[in-house]
Parts: sequence; structure tokens; C-alpha cells
Amino acid sequence: MLKTFMGRTILTYVLVIGALLSVVALGMAVRTYHLPDNHQGYEPRQPIAFSHRLHAGELSIDCRYCHTAGDKSRHAGIPAASVCMNCHKFVTATIGAIRAEDQRAEKEQRAPRPVVSPELAKLYEAMGLDDARKPDVNKKADGVVWVKIHNLPDYVYFDHRPHVNAGVACQTCHGSVETMERVRQVENLSMGWCVNCHRQANQIGVQGKSVNASTDCTACHY
Amino acid sequence: MSPNSTDQYWKDPEYAGKAESGNGQVPWTEDAPGEVSRRNFLRAAGFTAAIAAAGCSKAPVDKALPLVTQAEGMAPARSRYYASVCGACEAGCGALVKSRDGRPIKLEGLPDHPLSRGGLCAVGQAALLGLYDSHRFTGPQREGQACDWLEIDRIVLQKLDEIRTAGGAVRLLTSTVTSPTLNGVIARFLARFPDARHLAYDPLSCSAILDAHADTHGIRVLPRYRFDRSDVIVSFDADFLGTWISPVEYAAGYRERRRIEDKPETVSFHVQFESRMSLTGTNADLRYRVAPNESGTVLSVLADLVAARLGAGGAPPPAGGLNTVPAKVLEDLAARLVTVPGKSLIISGSQDIAVQRLCNTLNHILGNYGSTLDIAEPSYQKQGRDSGFVTLLDELTSGKVNALIVAGVNPVYELPEGQILAESLDNVDLVVYCGERPNETSGHAGLICPDHHFLESWGDVEAVCGIAALRQPLIRPLFNTRSLLDSLNVWAETPASAYDAIQGHWQEHIHPRTDGADPFQTFWDRTLHDGWARVKPETAAAPTFRGAGKSLADGSASQDDFTLIAYPKIGLLDGRHAYNPWLQELPDPVSKVTWDNYACLSVAAAKESGVKEGDIIRIEGRGLGDALELPAHIQPGQHDRVVAVALGYGQETTGRFANIGPQWILSHPSVGGNGLVGIRVHGLLVRENGCLRYERTGLRVTRTGETAALASTQTHHTITVPERLAPAGGLRRPIIQETTLDAYRANPHSGSHAQHDEYKPLFPDDHPKHGHHWAMAIDLTACTGCSACVIACQAENNVPVVGKDEVRRRREMHWLRIDRYYSGEGDEIDVVHQPMLCHHCDNAPCENVCPVLATVHTQEGLNAQVYNRCVGTRYCENNCPYKVRRFNWFRYRYDDPVENLALNPDVTVRSRGIMEKCSFCVQRIQDAKYEAKRRQEPLVDGVILTACQQSCPTQAIVFGDLNDPESLIARLVQSPRHFRVLEEIDVRPSVGYLTLVRNRMGEREVEHHG
Repeated sequence: MLKTFMGRTILTYVLVIGALLSVVALGMAVRTYHLPDNHQGYEPRQPIAFSHRLHAGELSIDCRYCHTAGDKSRHAGIPAASVCMNCHKFVTATIGAIRAEDQRAEKEQRAPRPVVSPELAKLYEAMGLDDARKPDVNKKADGVVWVKIHNLPDYVYFDHRPHVNAGVACQTCHGSVETMERVRQVENLSMGWCVNCHRQANQIGVQGKSVNASTDCTACHY
Repeated sequence: MSPNSTDQYWKDPEYAGKAESGNGQVPWTEDAPGEVSRRNFLRAAGFTAAIAAAGCSKAPVDKALPLVTQAEGMAPARSRYYASVCGACEAGCGALVKSRDGRPIKLEGLPDHPLSRGGLCAVGQAALLGLYDSHRFTGPQREGQACDWLEIDRIVLQKLDEIRTAGGAVRLLTSTVTSPTLNGVIARFLARFPDARHLAYDPLSCSAILDAHADTHGIRVLPRYRFDRSDVIVSFDADFLGTWISPVEYAAGYRERRRIEDKPETVSFHVQFESRMSLTGTNADLRYRVAPNESGTVLSVLADLVAARLGAGGAPPPAGGLNTVPAKVLEDLAARLVTVPGKSLIISGSQDIAVQRLCNTLNHILGNYGSTLDIAEPSYQKQGRDSGFVTLLDELTSGKVNALIVAGVNPVYELPEGQILAESLDNVDLVVYCGERPNETSGHAGLICPDHHFLESWGDVEAVCGIAALRQPLIRPLFNTRSLLDSLNVWAETPASAYDAIQGHWQEHIHPRTDGADPFQTFWDRTLHDGWARVKPETAAAPTFRGAGKSLADGSASQDDFTLIAYPKIGLLDGRHAYNPWLQELPDPVSKVTWDNYACLSVAAAKESGVKEGDIIRIEGRGLGDALELPAHIQPGQHDRVVAVALGYGQETTGRFANIGPQWILSHPSVGGNGLVGIRVHGLLVRENGCLRYERTGLRVTRTGETAALASTQTHHTITVPERLAPAGGLRRPIIQETTLDAYRANPHSGSHAQHDEYKPLFPDDHPKHGHHWAMAIDLTACTGCSACVIACQAENNVPVVGKDEVRRRREMHWLRIDRYYSGEGDEIDVVHQPMLCHHCDNAPCENVCPVLATVHTQEGLNAQVYNRCVGTRYCENNCPYKVRRFNWFRYRYDDPVENLALNPDVTVRSRGIMEKCSFCVQRIQDAKYEAKRRQEPLVDGVILTACQQSCPTQAIVFGDLNDPESLIARLVQSPRHFRVLEEIDVRPSVGYLTLVRNRMGEREVEHHG
């Protein structure tokens, strides 16, 4: 009798705990549930810890300084490594690291050594440069393989041209990238979200100008 | 036959005039080429379950790989266009190459090119697949083993040195070389040896024309034929709109004289005498069936009649008359010819030098030299000398040749002496093969020097005297290849890059032929940008006619024997593009058969010998060796004593197509019993006076009793309304409207049916188009049926290749097809070509049956197909009156990573279970609209060219915005010739056609009701 009761108690506990765990698991699943192909909140680690907060925010570099094709091609484009070198040919580390090296050199009474931040070293490596940042024939220039964040399905043909030329701010779709240390997909990029904006734009215009934002299927699907 | 019905036009001779089967159209039958066994069913079921289980996985992480160094002006996903020269054949048409993200993805016609005038043929456009062909040589080989270029050069130079010191013979075998620089390098290379010669032959030879000019004009020359200057064109077996010498150039010129609205007074008159049904014959104003051995006689009678009228002597016509052509026809023709001195053109496709000499004489007495035949600035498109190869073969078999370099050609396959040649190659010390891919000849070569594709290399072309063109590389070579120019330069011990060699040659030889107004660099840069430049001819004086005897040996074939005609087929030509699946699946414009060659018999001949479509027949005769067994195809309009078989089939390289198309339990391979596509007939060619002849007399045709199913599309997607489905009391309008030029001049509305019954829509037009309203018009008078548009569409829209078996099941995927209708009876027929594509109906029947709104109308009048919504019910396909929707029965193969580079990134690759169809190239429309917005300019008419329109050699297709009153399309819609197909069912299509106008003399005029 006791044995049966004991067995039942344990069984009850196990079942209750199991049920609680299921509820927790379900709750977590519901919280993070996305429709297929919706990657809202996607924030992958990139091969180089490039900070948009620093470049676009603190240094106020225009988006299109690097993403040059936004107004003239479908893709705004991820900058070629050579674009980084416009500055990073000379800027090889943070000002803090360089000052620290200067102070250390002063203390040790020697010429300061060149300082290269570990992240920028990855860039130079990807471009096949040697220590003097000159092309090294023995190294392969494979480029930087970034992880794509804003990724639409293959049957969607989004074009940056009409949006950028109509004056739609980059942040409308990409969020406040200039505040992000690591870029995250802010909007869900679903069709409903696109169409809502198109309908709104047709009513209220973009930046005070009236626009003709098509809601035809063929605007994006072909 | 009632003139006021659809019965006038039919597609398939077997069903012509049979009312019970829907008026000349084939009833739909479900053919089951095989049975499903229980075991196979279970196997497939299990496989499906396994695939379904494996299909669940996480979304993959996508990578983005930008450039390392940003090129100036380059933006990702933005197409750039470069002018170049098409290298698919020797015609030298201008090509505009679309390059995206560093790789060429489309070949188009180069606007304003003096030869091709903006057109590009099916073969030229399909040549893109030749670049992305993973079966190409990937690097040099020595005795079948991969090696490097240094080793090749070491061996070649060493052997050549030995030959030079021993005084041995070096031979270079190529097809026609139109590159001035390459000709220069060849001369420099050969000059290093005491006994060295360059021999050029053309697989589709025009040697007799050149030899005849050597007789009559004292210079071996191919005239440049000017169809744009000809009032009267008389062609004997020359398929100049399809496959003869330079079809795009000729079709564009021909079209210039077919501008019915703009210049009705200059419309040319074209008579075709031919033995098989060629594409050119289908377009002729008058066409007569003539046996191949009789065409010389007809020409001779015509020449006599013309000479008599011009008072230049000439024998009286034969007393008994001719077998096939009424005497009056030739008399009328002669009368017409003499009224247009210097404005007629007599051409012959014959390889009989006597016939060609007669042709020259007739052209001379008509005053055509200097106007419609240009020999002062002649064509270099065919330079081959057939007799040269015979000499070479003699030398080879007797072991007199020490080194043979074969470049670009495949003589073992292409020439009748292939087998002898192959055996004799073993006697040669050094056999080098320079070419793109393995073939019958390369297997006998010790050294393989893989050549670049023309999109990978620098080059120059002077296809016609005075038009010098530059070819530029669009991509770095995909494989370890080297151009022939580079190779010969290395072996001549004057190594220079192809670029330097060409620039050097142009500086020295081409630039002095300009007027010298621009310095060389300016001239070079401009030519590179434009793709071509006009220069002065090398020699100033035009050769003059010096007369020639015109003895003509009459053919003496018995009445019962058949003559075999080996003809080049559009797409395959001489077989050099047999590797190309697009061209293999391109329906022949006349027979509509894909993936095979076959023996064409006329309706009467087939009836007489009891042959039905698809019966395997045996062709045998004297000296033929093994009998030829081929499936029969009944070809109305062919001469009754002719059996025509296409060249270019049965090549080793087609073995790769064994598994093309979806592989499933009922699939059959696309290759025949020999493991290849079709059967080689090049072995049946004969030589006469050194000239390669494409006809062979004295053959018998018998049935073998076996049958084979040809993959013919001629009865697929039939749109004629059967009688039982016609609107009650209403008329079934013909799908074609045609008239004659005389009738058109009298009444521009002639041939039109719209005047008889106006259909008033029941509901008001409640969907007005406010912005653009896209529409298309196709001029049936201009359309020659050449099928360039079909390949253009395939390349632009990523249309998959399905293979022979799926074509047999009516599952070909071409968005644009060309319907070919016959009218008339038996073999005395007229032909109409009608390109058929999605009509983008404003009242589209497909749209309201779609349960998931996957096909909807846009505000600009497009009938959109949304792939991601489609669930594949196929209701729309059922309800489409034009039968232009295509269903993806399978996920077609995209497993070749090299070939996939040819895909257009601007168009979705469709998956299984999805309906697809013509989108009016909406990707081009969107791109042009965005570009206009960016430049803040209005969208100008003519900026958007659909793929089919862009490459049309005759500009038959016009696309534009109906809401723009200035646009060409808006004017064409108002034309009295404009009509819409199946207008009576009130679907309001956006595609219209312009009535076909034939330039006919009295007798054969089409009767018109009204």
C-alpha cells in the first residue's frame, strides 16, 4: 500500500515538474516564434567586429560613403575591402592603444612600434597585405566573408534605387544602425510590412513629396 | 474550304481537314510511354517519404562576399553592356553582351551594327551556354594526360624545329578565318617553314560560289548580297533567312524591303524554287517545288528567257516544258526581272559550280553586280576551299604531312572522309588540336590546346570587307585555356599577348585604312566602344565580268529514286553547337521537332510509300555503305522525290544528354539507341569537282516496320477553337489574318475580319490604366519564324530544358513559342509563323479561376504570375485560351555549378509545382522605371525592350506603353492591319498582330470574303 502510494507521489511530482517544464518551454518557444523566413532580431557575429555605432554614429560617416550603390543599384552593396583602406591604411588601431604604446615607448626609451588592432589585422589578412600593408604576393586576397543579415527570399526583388532616390531614410527599414555595436535586423521585412508602408506613402508621401509606391505584385515578385 | 472559318489553317498533315478532330488539330490524347509496376510505385513512394522527412531543416546562414578592390563605376547587381562580335559562326554579327557582377549573362544584338542591324540569331544567343559548359577542356593535354602550357610549347617547338630542318610539311586546318590579326599571325607562323600551308574549309560550304566567281570574274570571292537593295529576289535552294552564310544580315536587309506601312512602294518580291521546305521557302511570296537536279534547268531556262528579252541571245525554252514549274511562271518572272535592272538578286544554294556560274551570268546581264551583289567590298564569311581538303587528305594518307594543327573544326565528324582522315592522323608526327571541347577529331590528336570561348578572349573580325570589328573579353578564362592567336604567336616564337598582337596589327594595317582624321588611340577606343568601325577596302578596283560558258549537265536521276538532301537545321547548323541543350530543345521552325534528326518526306511521297509520322524508314542505295535508319517526318511542301535529313546530329558530345531532364520512374533518355542525339549523315555527303555536295541521288526508301516517337511540338498548345465550342451563332475567327499586297494597296483593311462583327463588352471598363499600359504588337509580315526570340526568352527568363521525353509529354517550358500554320492542301501550301506568348489579357480568364490569387492583374496591364503564391492547381492553364502557361512538373536540374552561372539573377528560378509564363520581361520594365526615376527623366518609348524584341533580326516585335500617344505601339494599334487573336471571346489581350501581307502576282491571291 505504502509502496503504491510512494510510487504515485513520485509519479505525480514527475508529472507536475514535467508539465511545468513544458509550459516554460512552450512559453519560450512562443516568445521567440517567427513565421518562416522572418528573421527579426537576427544579430549574427561577424568575422570582424565592425562597429556601426562608432563609424556611423560617433564619427557620423554617411551610410552611402561605404554602401555606395544605394541610389544606383538594386543592392546598396557591402563595401569592398579597399573602401575600408581609405581610412585604415593609416588608422590601424584605436587612439587609446596608440597612446598607450607611445607612453610605453617613452617609458622604455625606444621608438614606438606600430600598433595594429586585432580586428583590423583580420582585414589586412583578408586583403593579402604584409606587415607594411603592401600587397604580399604570397598571400591570397580572399576578401572578408560577412554574414548577411537582411536577407529576403529568392522570389523577392527589392530594389534600393526607388527608395533611396525617393528620400526614404535608411533607418526606416534598417533601424538605427548608427546606435548598434553589432547590426541587428530590426524590422520583420515581411510583405505586409512592406505593403503597409507603400500604402501609407501613397497617402502621406515621403518627406513631403507625393510618391507613387506600387502595390502591384510585380513590383517585387518576378 | 470555307474561307470564313478557322479551317483554312492547320498544323499537322495527318489531321488536316478532319472535322471530327477539331478542325485540323490533333485531339488531346494521354500517351503513356511506359507502365508503372507495383515495385516501382513503392520505390517512388518510399523515396518521396524519405525526401519529405529530410526536407525539415533550419534556414541556412547566408554569406555576403564583397569585392576586395572596388573597380571604378562598378556597382553590385548592376548590368553593364559591352559591344563585341558574336563568335557562334563566321557571319560576324554584332553582339551586345550583358555583364553582371563580372560575368556575361546574356548575348544580345548590337544596335546599329551595319551587318546584323541589332539582331542576333538563336545560335548566337545560345552560344552563352558554350562559355559555361563544364564539359569543355579544362587544360592542355598530352596523349590524354593533363599537362601544362610550358610542356606543350616545349614539345611543339622542338618538333617544329625538327620538321623545319628536315624540310617537312606543316599544315594548319581551320574553318574560315575572318580575323585580320589571326590571318597575319598564321602567315607569319607558316612562313617559318619551307613547306607549310593553311587550309580552310567550311562544314556548310559555299565553295562553289567562290569557285564560280574565279571562273567568271577572275577572283575567288564571295559577294556581299544586298537584300536591302533588291526589288526582286529569286532564290534556288538558298535558305538565306535561316542558315545560309549570314542569315541575320540577310533577314535584316530583307526586312528593310518589307515595310508595309512606311514604304509600301518598295516591298520586294521573293520567289523561291526549292526541293525541301526551308524557312526561307515558308516566307517566300511565291514558292515552287523543284527537284534538286532540276533547279539548274529552271535557272537555265530563266536565264535564257531574260537574255532573250534583253536581246542578248539565249536559247528558246525547252519544247516539252519543265516538270514542276509552269512555263508562264518563268516568263512572268523574266519579264519582271528585266523591268528592274540592277535591282534584282538571283542566288543559289547549290554546290554545283556550273549552276553558280550561270547564276553569276544571269546576275551580270541583269546588271546586279555593283548594286545587289557587292564584289568590290565582298564578304569574307565563307572562305573555305573544298578542293583544298581533298589535297590535304591525299597528302595525309600518303604520309607526306609531318605536322597538322587542327583549329576549331571537327573534320572527322563534319566531312564524309572523316574515317579515312582519322586513320591517316596516326601517320602524322605531330597532331595538335586547338578547340574548346572534346570531339571526334580531338581524340586523334596527341596534343590538346584548349581554346578560349569567344567571350573570354580578345579578337578582331572583318566579316565583310570594310567593316572591322573588335571582340573583347567579358570574363577571365574559366579554365586553363589559351587562344589560338596566343598559341600560334608562341609557336612562331613571337610571343605577344592577344591584346598586344591585335592592337599592333590594327595600328599597322587597319588604322591606315581609315581617313586618318583620328589618331590611332582615339580610333581604337571608339571602335572598342562601338564594337565596329568602317574602313576602306584593301583593294580599290572591282573585278569585272569576263564571261563564262554555261554548259549545264542535266541531272539524270530516275523518277523513282529519291534524292537525299542533307540540310543544316536552325540551331544545330553544322553541328558545332550540338553540345548546347537550348539549341537541341529549340523546335525547328518548320517541322517543330526537337532533340532529333529525322527523314522528311512530302505528304504525297509518304502516302505513296505508306509511311506515317514516326515510322522508322531505311534509306539505302548505291555506294551508301550501311543503310541509314531514321524516323520519318511528314513535311508538307517538300518535293515528292526528296528525303531531307538534318546535319549536325549524332555527335559524340551529345552523349552527355543521356540524363538531361527530370529522372523519374517513367523517364526515357533524350539520346537514341546509339547513345547520341540523332544520327550522323555527314558521311553521306559526296564530292563533285572537289565541291562538297549536300545532295545524293539514286536512293530507295523503305519502311522497317518499327516506329519511334519524335519529340514534336507542332500539335502542342493548339488554340484553334473546335467547332463544337464555338460561340453559339458566332463565328470562329481565323487566328491568322493575311492578304496580298495588291489587296492591301486597294484596301488597307483587307484580310481583316474585325469589320464583320463588333463585340461590345457587357460591362464597362472599370479598370482604367492610369500610368503605363504595356502592350505588344507582332508584325506577321516581318516575322520569318527564325526562333531567335525563343532562345532570347529562354536565356533571359531562366527557362529550363526538360529533355526529349518531357517534350513528348507536352511539357516543354518555352514561354514564347512560334506557332506554324499551313494553309492550302497537300504539298501546295503556304506557311505562316505566329509567335505566341502570354497575351496579358485585360479580361484574363486565368485570373478569375485562380483559387489563391497567384495570378493577378497589375495597374499597368500586366498579367502577373506570383510564384510564391502559386500552389499549382493548373486551373489557369486550363482556362488560358492561348495555351501559353507552363507548369513545372519537376524541380528541373540546376546541379551543374558552371552552367548555373548563365542564369539571370534578375529572374526567380522556379521550383516544382509552380505555374509560369511570359511576364513581358517585367524585370526589364522595373529596371527601366527605377532608372528613369533615378535620373528624374520620363520613361521614353523604346527604352524598354523585351528580350524577344531586342534580338529580333527583323524587328517584328514592338513593345511599349499604350498610354503614351507618341509611342510606336500606340500607332501600331491604330494600324488597319492590327488584329487580336481570339478577339471574339473578349479577353482583351494586350498582344496584337499585324496582318501578313504577301507580295503576290494575280493567280495565287488569297480569296477574301467581305
